Amino acid sequence: MTDNPNPLPSIIPEKDWKKIQRMLSKRSLWMIHFCTGCGAMEMPPTMTSRYDMERFGIIPMATPRQADLLLVTGYVAVKTLKRIVRVYEQMQDPKYVISFGSCPINGGLYWDSYNTIKRLDKYIPVDLYIAGCMPRPEAIMDAFLKLMKDIDEGRADGWLRYRKYYDKYRANQMRVFKRWDE
Amino acid sequence: MKEFEIFVGPQHVGATGNMMYHVWVDGDTVVKAETHVGYLHRAFEKLMERRSWLMNVALIPRICVPEPDVNEASYAMAVESLMNWDIPERAKYIRSIVLELARLSGHLLAISGYAGAIGLYTVPQWLIGDRDYLLDLFEQLTGGRVYHIFIFPGGVRWDLPDGFLRKLGKVLDYLESRLKLYDDLLFQNKVFFERAPDVGVIPKDKAIEWGVTGPNLRACGYAYDVRRVDPYAAYPDLDFEIPHYPKFGEFEVLGHGCDCYSRMVVRRLEIEQSIRILRQIIKKIPDGPHTLKLPNPIAWKVPAGYAYARVESSKGEFGYLVISDGGKVPYRVHVRGPSYTHGINVMEKIAPGLNIADFAPTAFSLDVCPPDIER
Amino acid sequence: MKAIEIFKELGIEYEEMKVKGNSTPRYRAKVEPDKLEEIIKKFKTQGFKHFVALSCVDWIKEGNMELIYHLFSYDTLEDVFLSIYLPRDEPKYKTLRHLFPQIETYEREVHEMFGVEFEGNDRLGEFILEDWNDMPPMRKDFDTVKYVKEKYESVPLVEGRGDKQ
Repeated sequence: MTDNPNPLPSIIPEKDWKKIQRMLSKRSLWMIHFCTGCGAMEMPPTMTSRYDMERFGIIPMATPRQADLLLVTGYVAVKTLKRIVRVYEQMQDPKYVISFGSCPINGGLYWDSYNTIKRLDKYIPVDLYIAGCMPRPEAIMDAFLKLMKDIDEGRADGWLRYRKYYDKYRANQMRVFKRWDE
Repeated sequence: MKEFEIFVGPQHVGATGNMMYHVWVDGDTVVKAETHVGYLHRAFEKLMERRSWLMNVALIPRICVPEPDVNEASYAMAVESLMNWDIPERAKYIRSIVLELARLSGHLLAISGYAGAIGLYTVPQWLIGDRDYLLDLFEQLTGGRVYHIFIFPGGVRWDLPDGFLRKLGKVLDYLESRLKLYDDLLFQNKVFFERAPDVGVIPKDKAIEWGVTGPNLRACGYAYDVRRVDPYAAYPDLDFEIPHYPKFGEFEVLGHGCDCYSRMVVRRLEIEQSIRILRQIIKKIPDGPHTLKLPNPIAWKVPAGYAYARVESSKGEFGYLVISDGGKVPYRVHVRGPSYTHGINVMEKIAPGLNIADFAPTAFSLDVCPPDIER
Repeated sequence: MKAIEIFKELGIEYEEMKVKGNSTPRYRAKVEPDKLEEIIKKFKTQGFKHFVALSCVDWIKEGNMELIYHLFSYDTLEDVFLSIYLPRDEPKYKTLRHLFPQIETYEREVHEMFGVEFEGNDRLGEFILEDWNDMPPMRKDFDTVKYVKEKYESVPLVEGRGDKQ
């Protein structure tokens, strides 16, 4: 699953080592603090005392280098997509993307807007979608639990897909950006 | 010393949402700041020209996310002006309930954002937890937590549900009892006294000219409030005060006004006034229909003309200029958001001279909401 | 000084806009582009110190661009909308940012969204959009659905879990 080699191959069987890794990574998902869209409005209630996502081991983190989880909260404007890709590439593997709300699924309310990309998974791999405008905190928590289950069962493999199809993802990204070096 | 550059945002805890401040600093002092927006541009004004008059009601709450109801109210008022409709009294009162609840939730968010920026992380935990009681009220009233789509041209969508006013009264009592705790936690806190006064000062004589509105203008010492100067909904019948510098009541007047301290204290006092307004509404709300009898929603004939309606949001003056050419869709809608001036013009002007550490609190104290800058 | 008196003094025809909901009167007047600066200065000295907004309207049938300068007075509680009309093919006007600083931002937006040039404003250029490659999008002849189809819907799906449909 990951590139981390087994430190004690003689003691820990290879299968168990993967299990340990998955268990550890699902229990400490750190979420990057990036309000990409209006869905960020439901994040404060989820983070704070009423719903309190910290009990699942999820806390907001300021820098992408220390984050495992990118929440794309809502519609993605072209200008934001560039920053999302940047942040996503700065995050360390394994990393997971949850797309939040109806807009990154198919454009949602902004299906005819000239400045929002319609499907997020054409540009970066998405592990989980939460539908709704906007999703309730309960839905967000449910998504977190589902993501944990997916990680445990090895199904959250977006970061591997991004490595494998990097050229295709980059080609799609460059179709909406004029330049990258800004 | 050599100048260097810092980017506050778009991915940054010190930015008020998805926007970016490009800051040049010399040592610890900000020399120059430039605001970059556009990360949330969804082309609302273009989309509104493609949707019918009633479909737009579902679209516009997304313009200002922390406080969506001001959009619906001002759009509805502008359309009513064009249609020459007088809405029923009860609808006006219900609108005022929704707008005041939205103001309360906007202020709670603004205060918790500011407290987070100066490092008092308990404040957001409590205030946002309490804000959920307001969201529960919204849910009972409108069916949605964040976007309500409740106010529309001609009135409101439906009447108050049974027992809503009783529950509203209970939530107000609870919120009032919590205010004391907020004071102990933030407004009487040494950290707040040390960090807020005389930081991020807007020159008083320039405030109006720079387009500052709302609590930020009242913190400069002008008792101007759209609810008073251009009354709408049920506000002409209601009795409330306009807290402004230096009339802070039980709070000490620290600093010389126009600063972060006054801006936050004004917001804190406005919570009290909103509770007072809501209690009056509970007592005074008249019976009657909650909406006009509306024509066929698909074929509204809105007479050609110009109309402007403004409401007071928790951030400042929110206005809609609606232009109709007599067609089935609006010809042009221009949204005047309060953050447009606060976030770009005012922030760029008051930033030079700030510490790096005071930059984010100043941005939060202006309560800049990026989606209403770029729409 | 009331807005009506100022209009009379300057010899400008005005009309009153319909108001429901709000209560202060709103006046709308069409003025000559080269006289606008003087008129705004006059209003500003008479109490209209709050510049609310600068809006632009694309009247494609008439071939005009309308710029609406919106002022408000906290003294007399009146709104004034001053409209100027520019030719649509080559809309060009001078900057008025020395009168109210926030006009600069509005001019940047109008320049980007409608393609109106403001002489003397050196901050025009990329403001909200990035990597834009078409005509100014708020113009009436810009077809947003066509643009969406060409730009976003033509992007192919990437293989993997996402394309099992």
